[in-house]
Amino acid sequence: MNRVGLEVPVKGMIFTELLDLADHLAGEEAVDKLLDDLDLDSDAAYTSVGNYPCSELVQIMTALGAQSGVSCDEVQREFGHWVLGIFTDRYPHFVKDKHTAFDLLEVIETEVHAEVRKLYPDAELPTFRTRRLGPDRMEMHYHSERPLRSFCHGLIEACLQRYGVTGQVRIAQDNGASDTVFDIQLER
Amino acid sequence: MEPFPPFKSERVSRRRYERERRGRQEAERILEHLSRELYEANAALKAQAASLEETVRHRTEELRAAKVAAETASDAKSAFLAMISHEIRTPLNGVLGMATVLAETELDAVQMDMAEVILTSGNGLLALLNDVLDLSKIEARQMEIEEIGFDLANLMAEQRRIFELRAAEKGLSFRMSGQAGLPSYIQGDPNRLRQVVSNLLSNAMKFTAKGGVHLDVSLDQWLLTVAVTDTGPGVPETKRHKLFKPFSQTDASITRQYGGTGLGLAISRQVCRLMGGDLVFRPARGGGSVFTATMRLSPPNVGAAPVDLGHCPFQKVLGARRWRILVAEDSETNRKVVELLLKPFDLDIRMVFDGAQAVEQHLARPFDLILMDVNMPVMNGLAAASLIRQEEERIGAERVPIIALTANAMTHQVSDYLRQGIDAHVAKPVRREDLARAMALQLCEQTRALMQG
Repeated sequence: MNRVGLEVPVKGMIFTELLDLADHLAGEEAVDKLLDDLDLDSDAAYTSVGNYPCSELVQIMTALGAQSGVSCDEVQREFGHWVLGIFTDRYPHFVKDKHTAFDLLEVIETEVHAEVRKLYPDAELPTFRTRRLGPDRMEMHYHSERPLRSFCHGLIEACLQRYGVTGQVRIAQDNGASDTVFDIQLER
Repeated sequence: MEPFPPFKSERVSRRRYERERRGRQEAERILEHLSRELYEANAALKAQAASLEETVRHRTEELRAAKVAAETASDAKSAFLAMISHEIRTPLNGVLGMATVLAETELDAVQMDMAEVILTSGNGLLALLNDVLDLSKIEARQMEIEEIGFDLANLMAEQRRIFELRAAEKGLSFRMSGQAGLPSYIQGDPNRLRQVVSNLLSNAMKFTAKGGVHLDVSLDQWLLTVAVTDTGPGVPETKRHKLFKPFSQTDASITRQYGGTGLGLAISRQVCRLMGGDLVFRPARGGGSVFTATMRLSPPNVGAAPVDLGHCPFQKVLGARRWRILVAEDSETNRKVVELLLKPFDLDIRMVFDGAQAVEQHLARPFDLILMDVNMPVMNGLAAASLIRQEEERIGAERVPIIALTANAMTHQVSDYLRQGIDAHVAKPVRREDLARAMALQLCEQTRALMQG
């Protein structure tokens, strides 16, 4: 499949989580209004088992940012944090034997995506290839058919936070929002 | 971004409710769709499994049928060979018997030469027939190895006598070593052992033009090793792999030059292997060949000893008195052969054509020995033997020796005969010496009694 960008379908679960985040950030009233104003094809009647166009995801995130005076990228990063929290709460067994942030980042591509494919064989998943450059340094190559690298950025930050470490997450190679290499350097 | 303060109201907006409801309906629609897909995939799998089952059943049936067909074909081949062997041996019996007797009549040199050619050709044909039968038995895994007591030293001495003579005729030297340590009584299959030794020595003689042949024998832990070394041309390295394959003399020109079927070594190797050994080739120093056969023999049964024919030379036994001999044989040719073969001995011979007549004649006035064909009309030889045994038992008469004359001499059939009242058998085509020896062996005890009395 060569579709890149906003036509690519996104798993419904991402939408339902985004709306939960929106409720949390702006309140139900504001979110209802925001969705009414956007006049989406799906009418925002999302279900976690469906698939919806990525363009709707970007529209919602942009509108949510505008409401709070931040960019779409900011919302994506916030959403990355949110999703990692939900994931670790809901699937504790994935996290149990991962002792460092890097351990957890490494298995997104392998263990987590393998599980997702069992439930949704048609899912078009992004790749999160990792490479350890030293005890405190890791490279993560985000590649997707969707332009959501800031979401990935938020995911990395949340992961560091969860393990109580600080560090710098820098874009080492910028091939656009759907193909980016992050350089993660922990601080001691 | 700061989170919105918790929304206090218990109620949600109509729009939110509608959205959630449509979301739920959409989820249900997707679920239905997926359920149907799952059902269809499952049904397809079940159908596939059933068709696989059917395919396997079909294939199994085909294989079973093919196996039955192959077995039937194999059985047919064995039956055909047994039948053909019988059919060929019977006329061959006539040819060889008559040629033997003919050669003993007053003939001029040219006629004698002709009679010799008939004899040699007939014996060649018989050897070929035996080889083909042996090979088919080996292929059908029906080659049987006997386990009987025999005189090993004597068997080797007999081979030496035969081949010393042949070597002398061809101007070759012949040497035998190791025979001093051989036991005179041992268990095994003397006929198969003789076949192997004779095959190796014949080959060595056949291919050696000058020099000689050396036969070395040794027995270690009941493993007999027979090594035959010759000073012939040897076997080229590129042709050694074909040595033990049936019908594959290393070179087609060999068949023209030396004759033979190319079955001998293949059969000998299989015989050795059936006897727990092997037959191998290695080049001899100086260019000849060494064929080494090994065969496992066993210690003699305690208490049993071979009948010592040394005291019963057949001429002496058959000449001890005018024995009354009954011959039951339906074929006129065979009757004539037996009559002529036994002519040199002064015997009182009575001929009958079937088993019923044999029983009748013997019961009327008992004979000293009966030669019994197996396949006869009215009553076959086995039934006749069995009737005679019953009658002997009933009236407490002495047991008459019965020798079966058989054309289908499979080992297991012979042991069947021995259980059914037959004392010994002589295979057709009957050779005078074999027949005379077998008769003498049966009459030996009575001869001793005669001599002593």
